[in-house]
Order: sequence, then C-alpha cells, then structure tokens
Amino acid sequence: MNEVIKANNLTKDYGNNRGIFDITFDVKKGETFGFVGTNGSGKTTTIRHIMGFLKPQKGSCEVMGLDCWKKASEIKNHVEYVPGEIAFPDLRTGTDFLKSQAELLKLKNMDYANYLINKLQLDTSANLKRMSKGMKQKTAIVTALMADKDILILDEPTTGLDPLMRVTFLDLLKEEKEKGKTILISSQMFNELESICDRVALIFEGRIIDIANIKELQNLPYKMFKVEFLAPKDYNEFKKMQFEVVRDQEKYNQVTVKVFNNDIQNFFKSLQGYKLKFIAEVDYNLEKYFMEVLKKYQGGENNV
Amino acid sequence: MFSKALFKQTVKAHWARWVSVTVATCVMLAIVIIVLGNLGISDIRDSLKNVFVQADQESSVKEECVDSYELYLTTTDTYSQALSISNYMTLITQSYDGQISSIEQPTQEDKERIANSEAEKWINMMGAMDPSMSEDKKLELKQFLSGLLLFHDANPTLQNLDLITSYYYDTVYNQAYTLSLDEGYTEEEAQERAQTSKQLAIDAIAYYEAENDTEGFTYNRSDFEEPATNYVNQLMYSNVYDMQIADGVAEDEAKQYAVAVKVISNTAITTYQFWIDDTTAGVTKDEAKAQACQSISDQIPEKVAEALSELGNMDIYGLIIGSIFYRIAGLLLPLVFVIMTANALLAGQVDSGSMAYVLSTPTKRRTVTVTQMLYLIFSLFCMYAVLTVVSVISVWVSGGNSFAINYGEILLLNLGAFLTMFAIAGFCFMCSAIFNRSKHSLSIGGGLSMFALVCTILGLFGSSVVPSAMRIPAMDFFNYLSIITFFDTVSILNGTLDFLWKFGALIAIGVVTIIIGIFRFDKKDLPL
Repeated sequence: MNEVIKANNLTKDYGNNRGIFDITFDVKKGETFGFVGTNGSGKTTTIRHIMGFLKPQKGSCEVMGLDCWKKASEIKNHVEYVPGEIAFPDLRTGTDFLKSQAELLKLKNMDYANYLINKLQLDTSANLKRMSKGMKQKTAIVTALMADKDILILDEPTTGLDPLMRVTFLDLLKEEKEKGKTILISSQMFNELESICDRVALIFEGRIIDIANIKELQNLPYKMFKVEFLAPKDYNEFKKMQFEVVRDQEKYNQVTVKVFNNDIQNFFKSLQGYKLKFIAEVDYNLEKYFMEVLKKYQGGENNV
Repeated sequence: MFSKALFKQTVKAHWARWVSVTVATCVMLAIVIIVLGNLGISDIRDSLKNVFVQADQESSVKEECVDSYELYLTTTDTYSQALSISNYMTLITQSYDGQISSIEQPTQEDKERIANSEAEKWINMMGAMDPSMSEDKKLELKQFLSGLLLFHDANPTLQNLDLITSYYYDTVYNQAYTLSLDEGYTEEEAQERAQTSKQLAIDAIAYYEAENDTEGFTYNRSDFEEPATNYVNQLMYSNVYDMQIADGVAEDEAKQYAVAVKVISNTAITTYQFWIDDTTAGVTKDEAKAQACQSISDQIPEKVAEALSELGNMDIYGLIIGSIFYRIAGLLLPLVFVIMTANALLAGQVDSGSMAYVLSTPTKRRTVTVTQMLYLIFSLFCMYAVLTVVSVISVWVSGGNSFAINYGEILLLNLGAFLTMFAIAGFCFMCSAIFNRSKHSLSIGGGLSMFALVCTILGLFGSSVVPSAMRIPAMDFFNYLSIITFFDTVSILNGTLDFLWKFGALIAIGVVTIIIGIFRFDKKDLPL
C-alpha cells in the first residue's frame, strides 16, 4: 500500500475543451505532491474528484485503496482538506466554527489546534464574516490540520497570506511532512511548490503534461552561464569553441552556454584572455523547466 | 443518518431568523383573534341582520303560528272522531286484552299484530254501521286505534276518554319532539317545544269540551277557526313577552314587541285560512302555508335576497381567521422563513462552498441531508407549537368555546397550517438539494411557493367564503394552481371531514419531495 492517492484516467468533460482528461498520477506514502497550472487548468476539478465531491465520467481515483466516489465519507477518516474557495458556515466567530468542526470530527483534544492557532497568530474570537482573506485562510488551515490525519489535501492554500505568513505556513507544511504525512497541494506559485514538493505535476488545459521530480531538477549534471563580451571579435571567437550554446544574442555579444559539471574548469580556463562585461550563472528552476516543457508541448500540438 | 454536531451548527446559524418570524407571526395572530374578537365587528352585520335576517326570522315565526293553528284544528278534528269511538272503548280494550292473554309471554311484535287486527275489525264494524264514513277516514281511524291499543297495553289503568286523550297528548308530544330534533334543536329545546305543543292540544280539547257541553253542539271545523286563531295569537303574544322580559327588556318595550308578533301571527293565520277557504284556487295546505309565511326576502328577486341574507349570515371570523390569516397572512412570514432556510441548508452552502467543511469530515451526504431536513421540519414544528399556544390563549381571552372559533377548530387550523408549511418546506428542500446555485434554488423553490401564495390570494375572490355579491367565480381557477388549496379551512370550520384527505395529500407531497431531494443530493456533483 505504498500508493496513498491514485488517479486512473480521471476524466470529466464539461464541454468546450474544459474539464479534465485522462488524469493519471499517484502519490506515495509520505510524499508531497504538487499541482501547478494556470487558472481553469483543472487543478481544483481533480482535487474535487479525490475528495469525492464529483463523480468521474471515466476512470477512477482512490485514497488508501478506497474509491473516492463510492466511499467518500470513509476516506475522510484519513483526509484533511483546505478548500480553494473560502466560505464558512453561518456561525458568529472563528471559535464557534472551530468548535463546531471539532464536533463533526469527533475531536476532543484541542491541543494541536491551539498550537496551530499560536503558530499562525490567528485571533479566533474575530467575527467570521468580517475576517480578512488572510485570516479566513488561516482559519481554514487550522480547521483542516487540527485533526492531524494522514493525508493532507490543499487547494491553493497560500492565496491571501502575506509573504511572512506564507513562510510560516510553508514551515508548518514542512513539519507536517516530517511527521510522515502524505500531502497533495495545488498552487500557481512554482517556487512555493519547489520548496516543499517531492514531485510536481504540470496541468495544462485539463491534462497532465509532465511530472517533474524536484530532486532531479535541483541536482542537474550541468550549469548554465550567461556571458557578455565587450568586443564582438571576442564574442565570435568564443562561439567557435566547443561549448553548447543554449541562447545566442548577437546584438549584445551575449551567449548562454550549458556546461557539464566536470567541464567547468575547462570552461573558465577558456574564458581567460577575453574582455568580459559580465558572467553570471543562470538559475535553472521548476518554472524554467515547465516553460520549456510547455513550449515543446504547444509546439508539438501546433505541428499536429 | 443524523449528526448532532451539524444540527447544533444549523440551529446556531438560523435561530435569529426563527425567533423573529415566530414572534412577528404570533403578534399578528394574537391581534387578529383578540382585537377583532373584542371589537365587536359584528355590529355592521347585525344591522344587516335586522333588515334581512329578521325577515327570515319573521317568516319562521309565521310558520310556527300556522303550524300551531293547524295543530289546534287537527286536535279538535281528531277529538271529535275519538269521541265517536269512546263509547266502544271498554269493549275494544277488553277484546284486545282477551287476545293478548291467550298468548303466553306476548312479544312486542305479537302486540302490534293483534292491535292492528283488532283495529281493523272494529273499524270495519263501525264502517258497516255508518256507511257515510270515507275510506280515508277509516284508514286514519284504524291507525289511531291500533296506536291507541298499544298505548293501552302500556298504560292499562287508563280508561275510556282518559285513555284517548292521554294517548293523543302523547302522540302530539312525540311528533313535535322528533320534528324539533330533525330541525336541529337541542334535546332540551325540543322537549320545551314538544311541551308547548302538548299544552296546545290540552287547551284545544278543554275548549272543545266546554263547547260540547252546550245544547245541540255538533262538531264543525269552521266553528273552531276563530278560537284557534285567538288562541295562537295569545300564545305568541305571551311567549314573546315572557322571552323579552327574561332577556331584560323593559316592560313597555316587551309589550310593544309582543303585540307586533301578535299582529304577524294574526296576519299569517288569516292569510293561511284565506287560501284554504278559497276552493277555486285549489291550493294544498303546504302551498297555503308557503303563501302565508312569505318574508321580505321572498318578495325581492331571489338572487338579491340570497346575496343579502348570505352577507348577513357570513362567518366573518371564519373568513378572517381561517381563510385570510391561516391561509394567507399568517403563512407569509413562515413561508419566507422556509424559503430562506431551505435554501441556506443545502444549495446556499454548496454555492458558497461552506459545505466543503462538513463533507471533509467523515459525515455522509445522506447524514447532511437528513439532519438539515430534520432541522427544517423541527423548526417549523416548534414555530407552530408556539403559534398554537398563542392562538389557544387568544381564543381563551376572547371567550373560549363561545368565541366564533372554538378550541378544536383553532387546533385544527394550526395543524393544517403546519402541514401546508411541511409540504412547501419539502418542495423548497427538494429544490435546495437539486440545485447547486442559490439563485436557481431560490427562484424555483421560493418562486413557486410565492406563486402558490399569490394564487391563494387571487383565488380567495373566487372561493365560497366570499359573499356571492363580491365573488368572481372565474377567480376560483387560481385555487387549482396553489398547493395551499389542500389546506381546507372552510371544511375545518364547517365541521365536515373533507379536510382530512387533503391533510393526507399535504403530508404526501412533503414526504415525496423530501425523499426525492435526499436521493438526488446523494448522486450529484458538488462544486466544493
């Protein structure tokens, strides 16, 4: 039972090319899995299927081996959820809401809830309706996490949080992760996912285009350097050398080259004698990676 | 299937709305019952009554006079015949007793059979002696005699004329008694009326006896017409006078009124006798009576008379409390409560997304729907429980069972209103369960419920509770469009049982819509 969450050809066609199509992925025990994609790409729809709110047209999804649609209430014994849209029941204060939710969860011990409240600096006595978006989001997070179950599903949990709170929240997620929880999180922010996820799936127009392994991405066997020469002569000479040019901007006498780790010594040596305006390592991250993948995908699509 | 935690949450979310609707409706109801009950809204109707309903009363007074007059003359007729057989009475009874004694332990059937055959035997004998006796008269006498024999059997000590008169008084009493009961008088009133009739027969026979003692008397019906008229006139006079005095009317006024009634009595009897005497007109006694008892409402065109007397007789409390308050005004606020609450229980939460929190706990959708449905029904039940208490107290303040609407009726009205709201709540709940958007749930569930209420308002102008002068029969069409029509306040207030199957229909609508809603909610996609 290594695969805690599993989706098989999950399809929900809303027409006009909207919906999700043949979504297949799995999340292993203890793994943190991210979904990234633009608005309307199908992240939320996928999560709703896993939560058992939507019935798949085709395919299926399971949590802990239980069908998400048929055993919707049983899987909730393992799953905690932060919904994408924050709207609370018609209660007066945050405390009322947390109490009511604890009763529904049959949760007696509120120690962990209080820990979370302190950590997120949440004032639960505030009126639910007058809460700012950030406070609402914090309340939603506490509500979800307080039961301390095995699987955590979050739909864009950081929207509305200020940058400092976002860091606190990501710390919290890391804590949860260290406890061995399985986490499924969706976001529009690549860097956020990159910092906590083991794997990230890119969803575009309802389809998973690629699943990236963050560790592999961070331990690439090569680096990229951007070099700008002062003289065009130098620029032209450098280009004749045997380095792989990824990007060439003649106008500025600028090249970006891909250098394998064992070739770095060689690369710097060969630059000796040239007059450089600057040299910089180009960060290669998830965002760049997915942009490349997306370009390829769209190119391929257009060719068809 | 039921979540206490969710129920608590729902109660907390909606209690303010519940309290305001309940209080407002209770205040309205108390005002309607107490204030209207004590303001004497019947004043206007009373003056109508004085003109038109009194005419009907006058007509019934006239009927009573004619009936009494006819009874007086029938008594003298019967007595004169009875006298003719009184000489044979000892013989007849002895013969009957002989027949009876030949049977061991005679049953009632045996007695009736023997009385019949004895009567036939004796009447045939008398017929043979007096050939002028008509067949009709024979039959009449035969029936009288057989009844008499049975009466003799029950009262063996009575002899001859005493037997005959006692039997006759008894018959008059019994006839008047049963007739009065048939006409809707209470047992006590019927006894009183029967006693009056019996007294009349006694007086008539006493008068006859006095006349009989005079030299050369032969019975002639027309000789007794005048004394009969005088007797009845005097009877009406004294009865009315006594009644007025008992009601606390001043002596002079009572006298005046009694004289007026005496005049009415005299007119009626004279008219009646006039029609009977005029053989060329060839009218029966009933036709003559109808002519004599005409009232104002008989003289104006029938439809106008109907409309006016209907207006006078209109049950204004029934109309205002039953048809207007319980079916329209008093339903409005609970209806708004149901529409808003039913929507907020499911569709509103799905629309806003707050349902996600309940459903991300191990709570089944079925548990959510059943719990929310129970809250809706329970809150309505409590609302009508409070309303019932308030209405019962209001009726008590307004005079209890002597108020136009008694305790039983007010309880049934509350029950009916609750069942109506139950059916509407079921429908709104179903809409709330089916739709994911508040606006759809509200426009279908709330819209159709409001439509039903508006139809009931329009339909009121076509329903039978509105006097025919104001009624537009075509408007009754609206009643067929409204679920509230199943709440039959007219049937409840009239004491018919039609309302029962309609209650059943309301329960069925509520139950079926709730079940549809619950099953649909289990199977649909939720955008949470």
